[in-house]
Amino acid sequence: MSSLRVTQAIVAKDLRTEMRSRSAVSTVLPFAATMLLAFGFALGPDRLLLAQTAPALLWLAALFASVELCHRSYQHEAANDALEGLLLSPADKGAVYLGKAAAAFVQLSVLLVVTTGIVIVLFGLPVGPAPALLLLTAVLGIAGLSTLGSLLGLLTVRSRSRQAALPVLVLPLVSPVIIAATKATAGLTHGSTAGIRGWLGLLVAFDVAYLAAGYVVFGHLLED
Amino acid sequence: MTTTNRAAVRLSRVTRLFDGLAAVSQVSIEVAEGETVWLRGWNGSGKTTLLRLIATAISPTFGGGSVLGFDLRAERSAIRARTDLLSHETRLYGDLTAAENLHFACRLYDIDPRWAGPALDRVGLEDVAAVRVARFSQGMRQRLALARCLMRGPALILLDEPYAALDVEARVVVDELLTTAQASRRTVVVASHEAPPAHLVDRQLTMDGGRVIAPAEVVPS
Repeated sequence: MSSLRVTQAIVAKDLRTEMRSRSAVSTVLPFAATMLLAFGFALGPDRLLLAQTAPALLWLAALFASVELCHRSYQHEAANDALEGLLLSPADKGAVYLGKAAAAFVQLSVLLVVTTGIVIVLFGLPVGPAPALLLLTAVLGIAGLSTLGSLLGLLTVRSRSRQAALPVLVLPLVSPVIIAATKATAGLTHGSTAGIRGWLGLLVAFDVAYLAAGYVVFGHLLED
Repeated sequence: MTTTNRAAVRLSRVTRLFDGLAAVSQVSIEVAEGETVWLRGWNGSGKTTLLRLIATAISPTFGGGSVLGFDLRAERSAIRARTDLLSHETRLYGDLTAAENLHFACRLYDIDPRWAGPALDRVGLEDVAAVRVARFSQGMRQRLALARCLMRGPALILLDEPYAALDVEARVVVDELLTTAQASRRTVVVASHEAPPAHLVDRQLTMDGGRVIAPAEVVPS
């Protein structure tokens, strides 16, 4: 059986489900936008302060969005016990995980584009002199959130504490990704590329570690 | 009815505990290849848990066995590829259409998607192939799950309360599935609180309190 076809099927199914249910658009996006607006008003009209805090707020919004998005993705699986259907299929469980992570990556990318637009307008965040590196930072940061969220999101429907388990597990593990993405974004938007290589390297290391762990562990977490 | 001597299901002293309570206790059964066995018992008697153990949806706490010649604990993937468990939890996606649900199953089970259309025809859902499953009644969902099973053609079919929520027309589809399974020498285990349709069943087992009690004993309906 082709694992790639299983991954493609999961991606297509998850994106189709999201497009029809619009759970990210109707809940995650308003949440992220409201959070950014609230911080914008709380920080006041100081343009310098707004621009300095914008990278951290942008990645915090992405973090909360990823937690909610991954939780909702597995809620769809839990309905009618579809998750057990995945378990009882002979499909490679690692391929199923890659599909879930890839679908989360696409959805988070769309959300980040919108929230970045809000941050640029509200906080006056400059794009900086190296937009390609900024884009790379975004891709690596979203990859970290997607790979970890897609693994731990499974626990929200498997563990007894359900949704409460996700933030408790995600937040400590995702901190290196958020810190590295924030520092890289802050440096690039303010024209400084010093230390960028180190932060991007850290992002790559965590992305690879989460992806490998997810591929190996997902099947075991899915089991009874 | 003709059956082979090889055991499709062989369980030895299988026990499954949930929070220290035994849902299934010390069950040892054999189901021959090609046999249709009716597992009868009240709610809470352990029928569903036993089917889920055979399907490898859950693992036994104690005991072991084999399904279709594969070890229940060590060769779960091989068992899953050849087994289908149909229950009231239909494992369908409400935001996908009937056809999309079957196509998705085709990808997971590596089946030619062209089988989806005939399977929908067979359960009478061809007219609603493009309708989202969220709009389906429970009976229609069960028929769609039945279509998925027909499409796969597994060697072992496990049916949990297959007649629940089905109208007369859909009950005929379940009977057809049982008839077809017998004709093609597939093994079927049905769990139900209802009395079995005698002409479709080779043997009846009765469960009570997590144990399989003597086959001759019948739970009053």
